[in-house]
Amino acid sequence: MIAYLRRNPALLGVLGLIVLLAVIGCIFSADFRSIQNLQNIFEQSAPLAFTALGQTVVIITRGIDLSIDAQIALLSSVASGVIDSDPQRALPVVIGVLAAGAFIGLITGALIVALRIHALIVTLGMAAVLQGLALLYTLTPVGGIPDGYDFFAYGRVLGVPVGMALAVVLFAVVGFVLAYTRLGRQIFAFGGDPHAATMVGLPTTRVILFTYCLMGFLTAITSVFLVSRLGVGNPVADGGFNLGSITAVVIGGTMLTGGRGSVLGTLLGVFMVQLLNNLLNFLDVSTFYQWMIQGAVVIAAVSLFVERRRTTA
Amino acid sequence: MNTTSFPTDRSGKQIDVVAMLERYGLLAFCAVLVLLTASISPAFRSPTNLQNVLTNVAPLAIVVLGQCMVILVRGFDLSVSSVMATAAVIATQFESAGAMAFPLTLLATLIMSLIIGLANGFLVTKRGMSPFLATLATMIVLQGLRFAWTRGAPSGRVPPEIQVIGAGQFYGVPVNLVVLAVLALIVWITLAKTPFGRRVYMVGGGPRAAELVGVNVDRIVIACYVASAVLAGIGGLVLVGYVSGVDNWVGRGYELDSIVAAVMGGVALSGGRGSVLGGILGAFLLTVIFNIVLLLGFPVQLQFVVKGLIIILAMAVYRVGGEIR
Repeated sequence: MIAYLRRNPALLGVLGLIVLLAVIGCIFSADFRSIQNLQNIFEQSAPLAFTALGQTVVIITRGIDLSIDAQIALLSSVASGVIDSDPQRALPVVIGVLAAGAFIGLITGALIVALRIHALIVTLGMAAVLQGLALLYTLTPVGGIPDGYDFFAYGRVLGVPVGMALAVVLFAVVGFVLAYTRLGRQIFAFGGDPHAATMVGLPTTRVILFTYCLMGFLTAITSVFLVSRLGVGNPVADGGFNLGSITAVVIGGTMLTGGRGSVLGTLLGVFMVQLLNNLLNFLDVSTFYQWMIQGAVVIAAVSLFVERRRTTA
Repeated sequence: MNTTSFPTDRSGKQIDVVAMLERYGLLAFCAVLVLLTASISPAFRSPTNLQNVLTNVAPLAIVVLGQCMVILVRGFDLSVSSVMATAAVIATQFESAGAMAFPLTLLATLIMSLIIGLANGFLVTKRGMSPFLATLATMIVLQGLRFAWTRGAPSGRVPPEIQVIGAGQFYGVPVNLVVLAVLALIVWITLAKTPFGRRVYMVGGGPRAAELVGVNVDRIVIACYVASAVLAGIGGLVLVGYVSGVDNWVGRGYELDSIVAAVMGGVALSGGRGSVLGGILGAFLLTVIFNIVLLLGFPVQLQFVVKGLIIILAMAVYRVGGEIR
């Protein structure tokens, strides 16, 4: 463990910040230091955790996905619109939405591979298309979910929020795939040097397709989670998941230049961001100053701990 | 990924075609799109609309100038939209100063832009932050400052000089287009004809090599971020002069639109390649696309779909961005 942290100073930095925030919170706010609140933080972390997990893999392959928010707008409105509070339709629609998310991701990946366009442009274009489709479907939130289906967002298993439990499982699975399977090594190899990876005959097309397919699937899970939490999908929602997920990923020590990174760092990054938001709310800081503090913390986290290792690595 | 990246393929006629497409493909696409739309839609080819498009292009293109400089040194600048909005808010703060409102606005905007540009450049070079996070962070900090200052609801009037710059016309030519032309000329000459410009391309092409031959890499990069912030400040003033009402989100979306325009115009995200003229062309194309989907009378929602498809299509057909993978 110690050796692992020494090889990944970024994790140490994020962990240090989490401890610091927790100590500050416990000293200054009685409400903050309750088990209830810890559960709340976990509950709130789930959607960012899903999207940031996908974004981590995408960024390791030197890509970026800016279509997350638009995809959530589309999938969540369609989900709640089609389910329309009918318990019989809930399960098939959820499965359909997950498949649709994976399919959208496949299209994005296929466009990137076939057209050889930078992911930034493709996903921005996809974002516009998906947002347009969402608005064509409906301009206002429609439909709803049947009773009991908010379990995904608010339920607890042995005191642990369901969403976050699922997120942790998914992080473990993806982390395992990245670290111990051939596919994982191919993902890192491609991100490290796409040209070399192509030259030595890695199945680069498959790697890219898998990456964006996973991203789309995780975005679909996020959509289902948000519908479960809010009871309805919002076609004009801007949850800030595009930039939020990238921030969490980079705070967790994954380089935007690709080829390096860890899902554990991302999980800590997500938790740190949520902890900070939660703490600022409890300290009654106005939104305006919250933004300033968040910006300052990003600067501090990254410039003090994370990217230092550029010089050492 | 592109055939041109293999040195052995550099001879022969076929490659020339690729190079030609890369160079002029977007221009051709632009021309075809404009001609096609003009033949379909009488509303598009009306002088009022063409003037409208040209007036719309300037704020985005001014921001793109700076964005190109930053992308040339392997960065990008997400803080431009926040700088624009802050400049717009600044423009309304000197109502009581009367005739002095305009110079005071310019001065305050310049100072604000310099600070943000220096902060971005400093964080990227001296602290080794990735440009994405550094500029995202300054964007959020500036946004917080702006909201705290205006208490969430900015008000006030923009000085008349700025309204003239943003929306005025001079013998039928939009004034803001003249501003764009002057700024574009300055930036283009600086990049293409001066030692500083050559160093910008050197740093973008290979920072390590540039350093070894004695270029002060950090200083060049910081200068590019400062230029981007100052141009974004000017862009914000031009835009607020055009819309003439101010809110806290003037320029929202310009950070991504300006990057897309630059990349469409052939500026490589990997740095060191591209020209601001391409960037301006990209800005023009993007504005025309918005205008076309508006005029063809699609339902409002379909505009998003069409915009997205055209962006992907424009990039796909001519693969201007083929090099950046």
